[in-house]
Parts: sequence; C-alpha cells; structure tokens
Amino acid sequence: MVFIPSPTVERHVTEAGLKRPDLSRHLSREARARLPNPIKSIWKVAQVKPGTINMGNGDPHHTLYPISEMNFVVPSIDDADPVQAWRTGTGGQQVISSFKDEPCALSLRTAFAYGAGAGLQHVRDALADLNNRIHSPPNHSVSLSLGNADALTKCFRLLGDPGDSFLCEEFTFSAMTNAALPLGIDWVPIRMDEGGLMPADMERILSSWDEATQGKRPHVLYTIPCSQNPTGSTLSLERREQIYQIAREWDIVILEDDPYFFLQYDLDVNSATVAQHGFTRAMADALPRSFLSMDYDGRVMRLDSFSKILAPGMRLGWVTSNHFFAEKLDMLTDSSSQHPHGLGQAFVAELLGKDGWGADGFMKWVSSLCSEYERRRNLFMDVFRREVAKTGFASAEVPQSGMFVWIKINLEHHVRYRRIENSSGGPCTNTAELMDELFRKLLDCGLVMMPASTFAIADRTGRSTEGHIADRVNYFRATFVGTDETICNGLSIFGRTIEDWYCF
Amino acid sequence: MTSSSPDLSHHLSGEARERLPNPMKVIWRRVNSSGRIDVANMANGDPHHSLYPFKQLMFEVPSVAEEPDPVPAWRTGNCPTQFFHSYKDEPCALSLRNAFQYTHGAGLPECQKTLTDLTQFFYAPPDHAITLTLGNSDGITKLFRLLGERGDHFLTDEFSFPGMTNAPLSYGIKWVGVKMDAGGMIPEEMEKILQNWNEASGRRPHVLYIIPVGQNPTGTTLSLERRQKIYAIAQKWDLIIIEDDPYYFIQFDQPPVETPSDDQGNYSKRFAKSLIPTILSMDTDGRVLRIDSFSKIIAPGMRLGWITSNRMFHDKLVTYTDSGPQHPHAFGQAFVTEMLSEKGWQMDGFCRWLQSLRLDYQRRRDFLLEVFRREVEPTGYASVNVPEGGMFVWIEVYFERHPRYRSEPPVAGSSTVAPRTNVEVLLLELLEKFIELDVVIMPSVLFAIEEHPRWIDDGARHVPIRDRTRFYRATFAGTEETIEKGMTRLGRALREFFDGPPLTSRL
Repeated sequence: MVFIPSPTVERHVTEAGLKRPDLSRHLSREARARLPNPIKSIWKVAQVKPGTINMGNGDPHHTLYPISEMNFVVPSIDDADPVQAWRTGTGGQQVISSFKDEPCALSLRTAFAYGAGAGLQHVRDALADLNNRIHSPPNHSVSLSLGNADALTKCFRLLGDPGDSFLCEEFTFSAMTNAALPLGIDWVPIRMDEGGLMPADMERILSSWDEATQGKRPHVLYTIPCSQNPTGSTLSLERREQIYQIAREWDIVILEDDPYFFLQYDLDVNSATVAQHGFTRAMADALPRSFLSMDYDGRVMRLDSFSKILAPGMRLGWVTSNHFFAEKLDMLTDSSSQHPHGLGQAFVAELLGKDGWGADGFMKWVSSLCSEYERRRNLFMDVFRREVAKTGFASAEVPQSGMFVWIKINLEHHVRYRRIENSSGGPCTNTAELMDELFRKLLDCGLVMMPASTFAIADRTGRSTEGHIADRVNYFRATFVGTDETICNGLSIFGRTIEDWYCF
Repeated sequence: MTSSSPDLSHHLSGEARERLPNPMKVIWRRVNSSGRIDVANMANGDPHHSLYPFKQLMFEVPSVAEEPDPVPAWRTGNCPTQFFHSYKDEPCALSLRNAFQYTHGAGLPECQKTLTDLTQFFYAPPDHAITLTLGNSDGITKLFRLLGERGDHFLTDEFSFPGMTNAPLSYGIKWVGVKMDAGGMIPEEMEKILQNWNEASGRRPHVLYIIPVGQNPTGTTLSLERRQKIYAIAQKWDLIIIEDDPYYFIQFDQPPVETPSDDQGNYSKRFAKSLIPTILSMDTDGRVLRIDSFSKIIAPGMRLGWITSNRMFHDKLVTYTDSGPQHPHAFGQAFVTEMLSEKGWQMDGFCRWLQSLRLDYQRRRDFLLEVFRREVEPTGYASVNVPEGGMFVWIEVYFERHPRYRSEPPVAGSSTVAPRTNVEVLLLELLEKFIELDVVIMPSVLFAIEEHPRWIDDGARHVPIRDRTRFYRATFAGTEETIEKGMTRLGRALREFFDGPPLTSRL
C-alpha cells in the first residue's frame, strides 16, 4: 500500500498547563499500528480553500436522500411528573422534527451524510455541555458510540494485547468480559462487599503481582460504579477516591461503564435550585461524583448510554476520554463500525435543542424516571421483606441506583449444605449445586432470576486468600423493571418456593 | 445448506472460534426448554416499553405511487410526498414496543423477515440467512476478524478501496492484488497467484474481497462469465468470497422497465430481472458472504445493511455482534420495515425508487462523459472509461507524453516490483496542480495494493503497479454544476501541467 503521509502537521495535544502522564504505553499493538484514512488526508488538504470542487468522494448528494422530514412524537415535559403522565396516558405529547430543507437544530443534509467516526460535532458539543454541567471533566473529548457494549468492546481492542490481564469486579457483566477473551485478555477479579469492589483487594493484587510468573501487570480496570451489574451496589465517594489513587500509583486506565448513572434513588434534588438554576444543576448537585469528575491524569474512559434513560433501541451513547485516547478510538471506529446513525443523532440534537426538551428538560425527564424506578424499587423491597426476607432464608441490601437487587440466599441454614474436601484450590462447599437446584425449582414454579454463577469471574492468579468464587455464588440478581404485577407475583412465588425448598 | 455442502468452519479465525455466547443466553435457553410459558421474568434489565419516550415515528418520503419517476421531481422539490409511520400503541409493520427493545444480534424479527424477503426476491440465494449490520464497513470489517489470522494474505483487486483494505493491516492481515483490465479482476490472474503461492509467505490466501458492480475505484463491473469463472476458482481453491455490493442497484445502460398502470407486483419482478446475477445467487457451496447496504440507495447516515451467508457464518456473526456493537438501531429498522410494508412503498414502489435513482446517476455519468469529451479529451493527455455501474470514472493520464517523464529499463538483479518510471512522482505533482486550480480527484496511488516480489511469477514481463498508477478516480455523484466546473478545471490543469513551464519537483 503506497501511503501518502498527511500534509497536515501531526496533531499536538496541548494540555493547558496541566502536567499529565504519558498514557501511550497503554495502547495495544493493533491500536499503535492503525493508519488514518488516506482519502481523508487528501480531502483535508483540499478543504483549506473555499470554492474547491470536490470530485474525489463518492458521497450521494443530499438531494437524493428520500427522507425530507422526520417527526418523533415524544412526551411533553410540561407535566410535573412527565414519566407518570406518560405511563398512564394522561400527559401531553410533543412533536420533535428534523428537516432536510428547512431550518432545525441538525439538518438532515448533515445527519444523513457520511461523517467522522467521533460523530457529528453538534451532538458531541451538546453532550460535552451536559458532561461539563454534571462532571466538569478537566480536559476531555467526547466521541459518540453505539451504546456501552460497543464502546467497551472497542476500548478492549484499543488497550488490550493477547496475554494482558485486566482487573474487574469478581461478579460482573460477563457478556462483556467474555467478549475480551478471544482477544487473549485474561480477567483478574477483585473482591467485593456490599459497598462494591474493595480498594484494599485491588491494591493487594497489584502490589503482589509478579511479572516474571504472571506476565504483564494489569493496566486496565473495568468497573460499573453505579448499580453494579449484577450486585446492584454503588461505589461511595470515598472508595472512588481510593480507587483513583491506586490507579495513579500503578498507572491503571479506568473503564468507567456507567449506563445506570442517571437512575439514582433517595436523591436530594433541591426544588429551590430547580426553580433558580434548572434541573441540570439540581441533578448535578445530587448525583454521585463520577471517576471522570476527578480525572486529572486523563486515565478514565467514561461510557455513557441512552439505553436505560431513553430506550435500548437508540443504540447511541458517548465516550469521554483524554484527547489522545479519543483520537485512537475514532480511528478504530473509522476502521470498523463507522459513526453512529444519522437518525439517532438528529433525534438527540433536536431533543436537547431549543425546540425540544433542552438539557434541563432532559434532566427533568431523567429525574422523573428516577422517581418511577425508585417507586418500583420500594415496591420490590416492601414485597420482598414481606414475602421473602421474613422466612429468614434470604436477604438483600437496598440498592441506591439502577435496576438490580442482589438477593443473598442463606445456604448455611439448608440441611443439605455441605463442606467438601478440596485441596486443589477449587470450591470447598456445594454452594453451586444447591443454587442450581434452587434455580430449577424456582423456574418450575414460574419465576426466573439470574443466578450469580452467570456473572462469576474465577480467580486464576492462584494468589487469592479468600477461597474459590464458587463458594460465594449464593445470590440471585433480580430486577424491578417489569410491571408491578410481575414484581408482586414473582416475589410471592419466591417466598413460597424458598420456604418449601428449605423445609421439605 | 444441503448435506453435500462443504464444511467451511476451517476458514474461521481463532478469535471467531473462541468467542463465547452471552452467558445469560444459556439461562434463557434453559427457561425456553423448560416448557413453562407463564414465567415471571425478574431476570432482565430491560426498561419496560411504557417508559420509552416514543409514541410515533414519521418519515416524509417521496410518493412513488403518484410519481413514476420520483428522483428528478424529488431533487427539484416538486414531488408529492407520503409518510411512513411507526406506532407504539397502534398497528403497524414494526411496533415501537418491539423496535426500541434490546433484540437479537441479527436484528429485530420483523426487519429480518423484511430483508430476508428482499434478499430472496432479488438474489434467490440457495440456502442462506441474513444478519443485519451497521452498513458495509461494519459488515466487512467484522468478516475480516471472523476469517483472518495475523499473517494471513487476502486477495483483492489490485486497485481497491483503502477505507476497507487499510482496516485489517493493524491486526496483521495483508493483501495480494489481482491484476485488472477494463472488465475488472482477471480470473486467470487470480488462479495464477493461487497456483504459484509459496507457503514461505504464509498460508495460501483463503479469502477474496471484491466489489463486483461499479468497482471502487476503477468503476468496472464483472461480467456474468467472469463471475462464474471466479466462483469456479473459489470452489477449486477453497476460497471464501466477500461480495461487497453497495452499488448493485446503480447499474446502467439497461432498458428502463416499463410501468403499465395495471401492473401489480410484476414491475418489481421485471426490475429485478434487469439486474446482473449476483455471485451469491450461484453460491451452492455456501462460500459467499454478500454485503448489502442502504448507504447509496437511501442515505449513508442510515448506517444499516445486511450480510447474507450460510447459517454457520450467520451464527458466528450473531455471536460476534452480541459481543460488540450489538444489533442496529430502532429508527433504521422501523424505517426499512415500514418502507417495504403494505402501507409504505412496497416492493414495487421501492423498485420504482431504485430505477429512478439509477437513471439519475446514469444521466450524470453521461453528462460527465460529455463534458470530458468537450474539455479534457481534446488535450490529448487523458481518456476516461464508461462505467456500467456505480459512481466513479477512472481517468487515465498519458504521463509518457510529459517532458519530464522518465523510464529506465530494469537493472539486472533489481526487485521486480521496484518502479522503473517516475509516474508516481508526476501523478502527485499533477494532483498538486489540480488542487491549485481548485479541483480534487483521487490519485490511483491511494488505491494501489502493494506488491511483493514473491507473488510475481513472470518477473521479466511484469510491469510493477507503481509504474501503472496513471489514473485518477472522479465521481459523478455531485451536481451538474460541480461536474461542469470540475471537468473544465481538469482540462486546464492538464494543459498547464503538460505544456506549461517545467515545475521544480518538490517531492
């Protein structure tokens, strides 16, 4: 391939006086080897002069796009509680429109054209503005993604080489950790308690790591800090600060996977602040502090998504990271899935624009959504206490965010619970078998919840002092996203069945 | 696939083989096979549809029923319009309750069915399944990862689209370019490469990547005969064929399909017949992976397409999609499903749009050729091909007529692929002249696949590709004004470059 070097000078990222560590060692071999698109280099040269006739790009002309207008019928956010009004059908609606040949926030002429991997500037700016108002990131770029699964798996390719070890929570979103395995990445689990991942264990793993026998020391942490999937825990500010410190000390990149960030409960949303400064400010004051907000090193890659706050079918989110990683990520996007779809970008541009909800209206929707999920959480916990916890055979912490309840099954009380002989480092109880039995019994009685084993990451370093994870899979992940009826029925079944299982 | 179809799983990369499905799916399979119908589901973290803030989507589009040749009317804003609707609470082809959910890696069932029917209608593949993609780049790069190992060599046209051919370089896949002529890739040349392959270079190529209609950048279209030859070679040498066909519906010089007013459902059949058979349609082995996209026929921002393949590859693609970018977005799937549904354009209407579109591109091609003949050809320094499809022309410049053109006979012992002329230098100088005169076209050097001496069997007669990069790719996708101005400036630039005072070479 005869490569024409870009006539434009290599981009120098000026860091506005902040002394930041050089994070380039974190890039995978593949990321380092990736070339920019040579056609784009030529086009950049040509774009310098206005009036240049471009016959170089094979882009269909906008007069040939057969869509001149898109209308989205969405809730009106005039109601005090727009989510309730929408659910019950009592609220108003609003029509948000995008046009090709008339003025609007983001013309379909632009939205329907090919674009850069990072997404359209207008949408990136709107999301960067939201970021600024909520996290005040020190110095970062926004790139659009197709949702968090897409963003996360791209980060794996960006940062991981075969033989690398990455850190994760010992119970985690295993669909994602599985995705890294064929890339040759191994996972090193960090112990958790009710507060989430334990910083002391993270420190232990890193300080006792022996590169001679274990390979390269882990340089990436994958964490779900709010409504951790599956345990439902939310990291406290203190823990986040400790984790960030450890990351600094050992030069770790933090992948902050945060799709439930905007679903927080028991928030102190100040109505005076709402009245004076708007919902965005009021929510920003109440929401937990993200890793991004403390990221002076530029070692955090934060993943946000519209999936849980608008709808999964949006397939749209955004990645916030330092400029260097952002550029490399965009090159990967240009070499694979390309920028996200124009339809979703147009929608978001209008929604956050002055003819839509605007940022404050969007945060009002979010706040209303939090109330609705909080209502369900409360319903779930009430019924759980009444039907299940009172049996004494199961218990659960109250989640502070998201959709998950991590239900502990007190297996030690079961007659068939046993310790087993195991000298090879495997499990020393029959927890896993009993949980499987209980899962099948619940299914037979008409209830399905995710067993903990689905999410368990076994430690393979041989250095864990805490025993095999299979001895700790005595949990179910339950969700309260279904209808109220599902929640009540499901928990009734749970209570009856578990009593049956213990006593007979 | 019939039981006599070959097992092609050995083509999968290690990465593809090792990929595990979503662990939660294992649980769902147990639930489904338990036979229990009315299970209380507290296992999913999917937001309920009552919380989706979408009640309706509406798309305003040309009304193809009222306007038989919609594109010219649409371009000038004189076309009657209609709306496609998707609803959450009212009947439609794809309910928003489903459209906005998390769904199967291959795409929403309604949209999958719509595109399966479309694929069946146009290509009638022997026994294949479809997987939705986010457009051709997404589809093709997924296939690179599905099939390629570090150190592999893949076959493609010697001038190819770097947006795609660059992508796998960073993970260690290399390209071998196959010689082309005015009819596209030469099958015999491809066979020669396979026959003479030296395993010291690595595993013999097992994947062929081609763009059979309106090839990017040369604008060539493979004839039916060549397609059959290529398929036969693929069978003999056990190749997988990636058929990248974004310009398939933009084929030229076919007699337009007539539209009698009482012709229900036959218009689309006749339109389909006017198109050249795809390589997919002859794929009895299941070795073709065909990539279709809505980018050039609806809009690039749709980010929606599909791959047609045998079921084994389909399953692997689904697992891969689940492990990465996920299924495509609701908006696009809703649009496409409504578009082809009863209340939308239906197949007849969609074909009417396609026919109108290809006639429009054909008019522009002809306009470019006309201006070229008027403004460029008379200079005597360049000529152009007449593409049978797509959006590009391949302009050839006669650098040997330039005063500073140099050519030396090959030195004994020199590399068979080293250039012996300064064509490349002059090509880039001329590009600078074009830019100076405010016109941009793409120099062929960007598209040329690097050669390696090991693949050259007839060193004495071989002309290195670096001596054959005497072309530029230009598009007629712009407006007539753009084409007129562009070609005029091109003519002027050529005259200045060839006849003007000698430039100091800056390269």
